[in-house]
Amino acid sequence: MGMMLTIHPEKCTGCRNCELACALEHEGYFRIKASRIHVYAWEREAFSVPMMCQQCSDAACVSVCMPKAMHRDAETGRIEYDAAKCIGCKMCVQACPFGNAAWDALTESILKCDTCGGDPACAKICPVGALEWADPDLAVQPRKKSFAAKLKTAYAEARS
Amino acid sequence: MKVQYFALLRNATHKREETWTRPAADVRGLLTDLCTTYGEPFAKWVMENGELAKFVVVLVDGHDVRSLAGLDTPLADTSEIAVFPPLAGG
Amino acid sequence: MNGWMGKILRVDLGSGKVSVERLDPKLAHDYIGARGLGTKIMWDEVDPNVDPLSPANKLIFAPGPFSGTFAPSAGRYDVVTKGPLTGTIAASNSGGSFGAELKFAGWDVVILEGKAAAPSYLWIADDKVELRSAAHLWGKDVPTTTEMLYAETAEDAKVACIGPAGEKLVLFAAIMNEMQRAAGRTGVGAVMGSKNLKAIAVRGTKGVRVADKDGFAAACAETSRKIKEHPVGGTGLRLYGTDVLVNILNSVGGLPTGNFRTGQFATADKVGGESLAARELQRPRGCFACIISCGRGTKVLSPKYAGAGEGPEYESAWGFGPDCNIDDLDAVTKANYICNELGLDTITMGSTIACAIEMFDRGIIGTAETEGLELLPGNAEAMVEAVRLTGMGEGFGKKLGLGSWRLASMYGHPELSMTAKKQEMPAYEPRAIQGIGLNYATNNRGGCHVRGYTISPEVLGVPMKVDKDATEGKPALVALFQNLTAAIDSSGACLFTTFGLGAEDYAAMLAPLTGEAWTAEEFLKCGERIWNLERLWNNRAGFTAADDALPPRMTQEPMPSGPSKGAVSRVPEMMPEYYAVRGWSPAGEPTTEKLRELELA
Repeated sequence: MGMMLTIHPEKCTGCRNCELACALEHEGYFRIKASRIHVYAWEREAFSVPMMCQQCSDAACVSVCMPKAMHRDAETGRIEYDAAKCIGCKMCVQACPFGNAAWDALTESILKCDTCGGDPACAKICPVGALEWADPDLAVQPRKKSFAAKLKTAYAEARS
Repeated sequence: MKVQYFALLRNATHKREETWTRPAADVRGLLTDLCTTYGEPFAKWVMENGELAKFVVVLVDGHDVRSLAGLDTPLADTSEIAVFPPLAGG
Repeated sequence: MNGWMGKILRVDLGSGKVSVERLDPKLAHDYIGARGLGTKIMWDEVDPNVDPLSPANKLIFAPGPFSGTFAPSAGRYDVVTKGPLTGTIAASNSGGSFGAELKFAGWDVVILEGKAAAPSYLWIADDKVELRSAAHLWGKDVPTTTEMLYAETAEDAKVACIGPAGEKLVLFAAIMNEMQRAAGRTGVGAVMGSKNLKAIAVRGTKGVRVADKDGFAAACAETSRKIKEHPVGGTGLRLYGTDVLVNILNSVGGLPTGNFRTGQFATADKVGGESLAARELQRPRGCFACIISCGRGTKVLSPKYAGAGEGPEYESAWGFGPDCNIDDLDAVTKANYICNELGLDTITMGSTIACAIEMFDRGIIGTAETEGLELLPGNAEAMVEAVRLTGMGEGFGKKLGLGSWRLASMYGHPELSMTAKKQEMPAYEPRAIQGIGLNYATNNRGGCHVRGYTISPEVLGVPMKVDKDATEGKPALVALFQNLTAAIDSSGACLFTTFGLGAEDYAAMLAPLTGEAWTAEEFLKCGERIWNLERLWNNRAGFTAADDALPPRMTQEPMPSGPSKGAVSRVPEMMPEYYAVRGWSPAGEPTTEKLRELELA
């Protein structure tokens, strides 16, 4: 089973190191608006969530892309972007239900997470493990288990 | 003697403080005993190769043992000892 | 340029005129950025005798060369101006994202001059700069103002603003960014309010350039490793936040209690970081590019003090807690939220209330003066209400808003104000800890702990342990910390990076970033230069050696109880050596020789 970039938003501190690493990796300097990952913050409640391409199995961006610039790599299962084929119609930007494809005016191309070719810079720099490059099954184990523990406690209380 | 724990050491001992009744002539004796009692989660912050771990703060009656006699600082039945893992603020 | 963006934005708020200037690379190298660069501009352009709340004062926002890069925990900025609380040069440092965003918009410095004709806000979108009406924002609290500005500028803009406190010229009003981070001290928010400037909103699409990309990435990986491996920065601060200090200061008898009457508070643990982690804490938070995550996302559930936000930090918890003899953490947290929402410095606020409480307790003032507030030690409800009144400029809050020195003087008892140069001393007792007292007395912005944080060696033993009760060696130690901190503040780095890093590490990151040669010595020398320039400014503003002093309680009233019973602060006996170590005259003025050495003459 392919690896996946998993988000653990409950751990996110809002530091945006992921955006910086992504920008430097792809652009060679800290042009943060070129980051393929964005952290959304709810400042009143001090809560943040990082968002990037979810590599959907039935990807809307692939469906709408006529020149097939957006395509699925058969081997990795990831959605890849071929800038050479892109005609700049921005249909993918409109189609992605999560808003994870963006148009970069400076380079006239699409910004979309490519997992840095299977070695994501964002996951490496995240200081608290809110981003994890992992086997999708294993990635959610801790969350499943901690929730299961809550159910266990609830049942124990109900019985006593 | 009374021993108080702070920050991570509260997790390691599951206590804020306790009345220590086992004999301890000096800080070395007390800490060695505590490390044995609470194991690695406690010991790793407090003692290293028989010496005080870096940045651990041990107070006897409010005075840092490093300004007294270090691990050889004597203790009495009425001593109050406070142990802090490395910490900071501002 | 690399690291720096190379441009200064100057706005005349009265005429609306916007000008762009080039950042002189020599100035950038000598003063680094942020605090240093802002101070140099103030020195060159503003008369130190100016009225801080007049249009002739200037307000400078400046990030550092690290801000906007992934130098670990180094995305900060400073607000530099003449401080209305103290009359000294004021540089207030803040985290969040605002400073980095100024860099992305292409700016190293934003200078605000004059006064807008009506409440306004500045909208900076890269090179496009507009002064817009803030009539609809005036009177609104910080969170509401911020959200309204996101809606009318850009969702991903960053906002620095004042709340009602700054508008009403409370002398310790803060400037808040990202709702929860503060350029807190010395009243920089009041300067902003006096200019009719409600907010600055900024959005940037440019990038910070790096001279040697691989070299910089490697240097940052190394400094990140050092910070993470240090038990304090790597673990402790994320788990417990700065409030973890309550118990250790209390245990050594150095937790100022009841307006600095004594140094221990029996129920201190109830407002410490361990209690905060168990009760109100929701999650840790981190500023831009931070790997330490000391921020506290918190929530109070009890209906009486319900709220959510960030904090309290150690100084804030102390000010509303032990300094007022209060141990109700919900109330303390609520007071902190109100300060964030209305834009107030938590340290001066807490200490001013503590002063009012002592005066009330002694019968110097009563409910007639406080307009009904029962300001007794331990009265949490009255404390919280006092904060709200101060932020809104209502009732007794109008007097509290002057700070403790002017408040206590009004009733004939300035000696009950726990201040140095009229700024309230933070949460460490000078009688129990000799070095921090010397730092309070000599700090260029008055009672300040961060910019000479000798608590690290004196209490925590970081990087090495020194005897807190000794005076020997303290003058040199204080001066060293003050110099290093000045350089770090100017680079954009957070002071918590000092848990793990030394001067050589900052130089090791600056070199590949800027493409310039940097050594530890040069970095430290910049810090010393900046400190001396601040001192020159203050001397010109009329400050003398007589102002390098602590309240008489610290030097004349022995500590009544606790492990430091009987101790007094020996600042007066340390002062001559401090001046000597600094290369100053016995009157506390930098000598011509020292100024030449620092290229200030």
